[in-house]
Formats: sequence, structure tokens, C-alpha cells
Amino acid sequence: MNAENVKSQMRKGTLEYCILLLLRKEPAYTSDIIQKLQEAKLIVVEGTLYPLLTRLKNSELLSYQWIESTQGPPRKYYQLTPKGEEFLGELEISWQELNDTINHIRNN
Amino acid sequence: MKKTLTVNLGGTVFHIDEDAYQLLDKYLSNLRIHFRKEEGSEEIMNDFEMRISELLSERVRLGYEVITLENVEEVIKRMGKPEDLFDNEHEESQEEAKSHIFQEGEVQGGKKRLMRDPDDYILGGVAGGIAAYMGWDTTTVRLFMILLLFVPYAPVVLLYIILWLVMPQARTAADKLIMRGKSVTLENIGKTVTDGFEKVSNNVNDYMSSDKPRSTLQKLADLFVTVIGFLLKFLAILVGIILLPILLLIVFVLIVMMFALFVGGTGILYHLSPFGMDLYSGVPVPLAIMGCIGIILLIGIPVFALAFAICGQLFKLRQLPEPARWTLIILWVISLILCIVYFYQTGINGWSCLHWQHLFDI
Repeated sequence: MNAENVKSQMRKGTLEYCILLLLRKEPAYTSDIIQKLQEAKLIVVEGTLYPLLTRLKNSELLSYQWIESTQGPPRKYYQLTPKGEEFLGELEISWQELNDTINHIRNN
Repeated sequence: MKKTLTVNLGGTVFHIDEDAYQLLDKYLSNLRIHFRKEEGSEEIMNDFEMRISELLSERVRLGYEVITLENVEEVIKRMGKPEDLFDNEHEESQEEAKSHIFQEGEVQGGKKRLMRDPDDYILGGVAGGIAAYMGWDTTTVRLFMILLLFVPYAPVVLLYIILWLVMPQARTAADKLIMRGKSVTLENIGKTVTDGFEKVSNNVNDYMSSDKPRSTLQKLADLFVTVIGFLLKFLAILVGIILLPILLLIVFVLIVMMFALFVGGTGILYHLSPFGMDLYSGVPVPLAIMGCIGIILLIGIPVFALAFAICGQLFKLRQLPEPARWTLIILWVISLILCIVYFYQTGINGWSCLHWQHLFDI
């Protein structure tokens, strides 16, 4: 049991939630998602994200379309599906609960 | 000066140094092996390729025409070394394992297969393969085989040739892992590939150092082993070619017999089956039919399997699919049971009666 391991577990647990949150505001390119997650230090390497996005897409939480790019070939443009929004709602609630619990414990 | 290759990566053409190409190719195939069980693995791989292509395009836009080894290393660092990705995936798969214990059991269960080891061979790698499969030392297996040569009535040579024909060679890194019963993970693949490289460099060293101090006797032994190896390989192919039509004929005859049994019913039993005699001695008809079918399948299935395996080796066919193999095995067990029941029943009614009468006569 080391600190790094626990920290990375925590980050990983919130990763799906964060991706859905990022896409709630506006649809985004994969590279944008990666950039934002890297800024937030949620992921270290890009490779982690591709299987995750595909998994989210396969569970019909996300959908994508190909958008022409000015530089290079067309790129995937991810957006939230209605099912994904519903899912995000559930995550919001449980995040709130978790937050409350932790605050409660911390303050006592 | 370096040789370059032209590759199509995610729809863009790149000129890439040969060493850089090899690294990238290895990286991508490692990823592919890792994701192969995942739903939508093709899509994930496409995403990877697209992104790598995007990153490399930036290099090209800066005016560098050729992708070098450093570029590829940089990209891999950015995308994640296999170990980094593996760590994540591994933990995730453990979480999944809690909910899908059965599925994970199948995937991670480290299924072993008997294969010939191309890294550890004198003739065909059969001994090496058996050693890897059983987890024994190869030399022990070889010594045992040589010992068996001196045991009368033990068809070691024939057995070896048949094994050589039937056992597939472990060609890829994944094959070699399956041969040793290790689960095919990225980490293990990485190990195998690095081991392979070490082996290659060792071989080169061996070759260089063994250039001088090789005695005439050793050279002669080398030559002897090579010649014997060649002869055995030749013999193996020859036996395969000769055996094949015979085996196919047996399968054909057995199928015809089976067909005749169903169409012609019991009448034909008199003429076709050695068990026709039993009908005279009062064995009920259903039992006789059961015995016939049992015997036909009992002999036919192994013969068919052997013929198929030889065909596969000679013509590079694919193996029988898993369900078909299991059906055959189950059928064979059923036929075995049928035969045991048959012989047990007729043993009381027919054969042993005759036997006893003989005894009384004497």
C-alpha cells in the first residue's frame, strides 16, 4: 500500500465522471479532451484515454461523428448521448454524497 | 546513411527510418495483442494510429521529411509505454474480474497448449515443446526419449514423427507464452520479445566465438545432426503423405458403414459387421446396432482427428474450431461407453457362453 498507488486509484475513479463533465458543456475532439485532462493531471499518458472513450461509446454514453479538419484527415468529435446525460446525473449525485461524507468526516 | 520505408499510418503517408519503423511496429502490435479481447479493439487501434499519425504530421509540418527513431520514442512516451497502459488495464481488469469471474477465468486462466519450441530444438523442437508444456528440463526429456529408443516395442521414432506432424510450431511471442501456459499479457509479451532479442545477440556472439575453436569431431557431430535432422524431416513428410490417403480411406469406409447401418438397418449388419454373428446368438437388435455405432465412432474419431492434423500440417489449414473439437471428444467418450456396455452385455450372452462351452468340451 503506497501513496502513489492510492492517489492514482482516486484519479482513475473520477476519470469517467470528468470526461462526461467535460463533454456536457460542448462536444470536443479527442485531442482537446486529452489536453484538458492532462492539464488537470488526471491522466499522464494519452494511451489511457482511447480504450476508455471506446468503452463509453460502446455503452452508449457517448457518440461521435467525423468532422473535417483544416489540417490533416477528419477527426472524431465526441458528444454526450441522452443516456450519457442520465448517467452523468447519477454520478453527480454520488459525487455529492461522497463529497458530503468526506467533509463530514474531516470536520469531525 | 539510413534506409527508409514508406508507411500509411491513419491515412497519411510517412517516410520512416527502418529502425524507427521496427520500434513503431512492435509498439503497435503489442497494443493490438493487449486490446484484442476488448470489444471494439479495431476502433481503439485506429484511434491510436490516428493520433500517432497526427503527432508525426506535426513533425513533418515543421519541415522534417523523415520520421526518426527519436520521433517515435517521443511519440511512444507521449502515448504511454506499454507498462503504463498495462498497469491501468490490469487494475481495471481486476475490478471487472469481480463482476465477471467466469469470463475473466477464461481469459486469464493461462491455457496451455502443446507446441513445438522453435527456440529449443535439435530436430523438430518436440522435446523442447513437451518440456515447456510440462515445465520439465529439456535435457531430461531428451535423455528419456533416447532411453526409450532402447526399450523394445516402444515406437519412439514413429511417435516422434507423429508428434512433429501434429504439434504446431510456436511462431509468435503469444504462441510461446501459451506453450508455457502463461497468460498473454502485455508484460509477458514484452518479456518474451526482449528475451528473444537477447537470444539473437547471444547467437551472434556464439557464432563469432565459435568460429575458431571448433574441433573436427564437433564439426562432424554437427554435420551428423544436420543430416539426421534433414532425413527425419523428409521421412516425416513422407509418412504424412503415405498415411494421409489411408486414414482418409478409413474415415470414408467408416462413414459409409454408418450410413449403410441407418439406411439398410439390421439386414446389412450380417454382411458388414463382425458383430453380425451376435445376432445369431440372440443379442437384441438395438444392442447390436448400438455396439456397431460405438465401435465405428471409437475408431473413426481418432483416425479422423489424426488425418485432419496431418492435413493441417501439410496444407497449412486452420485447426478445427473449439466447439467441433469438444463435440468430437464428447462423441468419442459416448462411443466408448456404448462399447463398454455392448461388450459387457454380449460378454454375458455370447462370448463367455461360447467360452464356457469350450471349457466344458475340454
